[in-house]
Amino acid sequence: MSLMTMILKMSEGLGKTCAIFFLTLLFSLPLGMIVALLRMSKNRVVSWITRFFITILRGTPLMLQLLAVTYGPYYLFGAGVSRNKLIPVVIAFSINYAAYFAEIYRGGIESIPVGQYEAAEVLGYTRFQTFMRIILPQVVKRIMPSVTNEVVTLVKDTSMAFTVSYQEMFTIGKQIANSQTSFMPFIVAGVFYYLFNLIVDRLMGRIEKRLNYYK
Amino acid sequence: MPVNNEKETSAILEIRKLSKSFGETAVLKDISLSVEPGNVVSIIGPSGSGKSTLLRCASFLETADGGDILYDGRYAVNDGVYAPKADLNRFRTLFGMVFQSFNLFPHYSVMKNICEPPALRGRNRDEVRERALELLKKMGLEGKENAYPYQLSGGQQQRVAIARALALDPEILFFDEPTSALDPELTGEVLKVIRQLADDHMTMVVVTHEMPFARAVSNRVIFMDRGFIVEEGHPEEVFGDPKQERTKQFLKNYNQ
Repeated sequence: MSLMTMILKMSEGLGKTCAIFFLTLLFSLPLGMIVALLRMSKNRVVSWITRFFITILRGTPLMLQLLAVTYGPYYLFGAGVSRNKLIPVVIAFSINYAAYFAEIYRGGIESIPVGQYEAAEVLGYTRFQTFMRIILPQVVKRIMPSVTNEVVTLVKDTSMAFTVSYQEMFTIGKQIANSQTSFMPFIVAGVFYYLFNLIVDRLMGRIEKRLNYYK
Repeated sequence: MPVNNEKETSAILEIRKLSKSFGETAVLKDISLSVEPGNVVSIIGPSGSGKSTLLRCASFLETADGGDILYDGRYAVNDGVYAPKADLNRFRTLFGMVFQSFNLFPHYSVMKNICEPPALRGRNRDEVRERALELLKKMGLEGKENAYPYQLSGGQQQRVAIARALALDPEILFFDEPTSALDPELTGEVLKVIRQLADDHMTMVVVTHEMPFARAVSNRVIFMDRGFIVEEGHPEEVFGDPKQERTKQFLKNYNQ
């Protein structure tokens, strides 16, 4: 198989790689905020339960979570494994990344000085207005470097979908590598991820720059 | 600043027998004071005497354990029981607060810092803008509308914070050590605008360590120590001829 055919074949999986990437961000970024707020809840029970789930999601391999979400329903309830693996893959990724984002958000929220809340309260902001207008914009700026880190990791983590044979780029590459007994597909995959992350880096850098209008 | 002459008999703020503890430590004990319209009351005393806590209770940032807080003769806190949230929000429109550390919103321009709170309260945006520009001029900050807080000196930031508080047209303004975070050379410019507000008969309570300022500007001075009001009176009495031994001792450190 020529290098060109290899690249073309693997490119066919690129759409699915992108699907995992974008859908995961779409769901995990807001879900992480909800988890962070639950984690910081004044209700001890809510806070502890959330904390427990975060430790599980961060303390066990993503690969295991992928297997659990994809095949768990079959082993537990005898339910059929869904034909479209994108759904369980995105669910597993979203929940896992939400746990990481939640801790980043929490760190950001807790780093905002109390004085900001106090000033807003005295000035008549409601709690919701305080969060949306005063706290959140400052949090976003502060956490951008950490979020960029996670997003870069996510690009590479999409390759983990091969464990449930979801036909994304890396899975296809691995299949070619097996059938052709060649290491070339892995190099191609590496170049793909590198270029993908080059773009991610540029985009995130641009967002960070736009948030630099204040200190 | 408009002074409502009809209310001259009743205090804007009245505090009766206020008490507050942090855990086991009592920080306010049996504090009573009232502030008449147009008056400037200075609160002095050593660190940890409860001065700031008193202001923070008056502005609902801390919850008092017992006593009364009345604004315009109406109970915000009655025997340690707080009025319903909606009422407290209405009381909040009566006072403004200037913090030691300014607490401007760093992601907002000077103009937005000043204009957003009244705009959120439903005031006409054009009028709010006009008033903000007027206040900035008064604070000596013309041309700083579009600056961000980090681009300003501490003294300028504090003057923006004062303008922000005034933009809501409070009946009474609280200052919590407004110059303590400032270099000595920037302190003067902030004290100057507070003095100017006093000349305009703005009602104010100022917690401060600036003794000459307190003496010159206040109608009344309160000396607090360990959660008690030790002595209070006309500034010339408290500074010139203090009655209590503790007051004399404290003022001696300031070479009065």
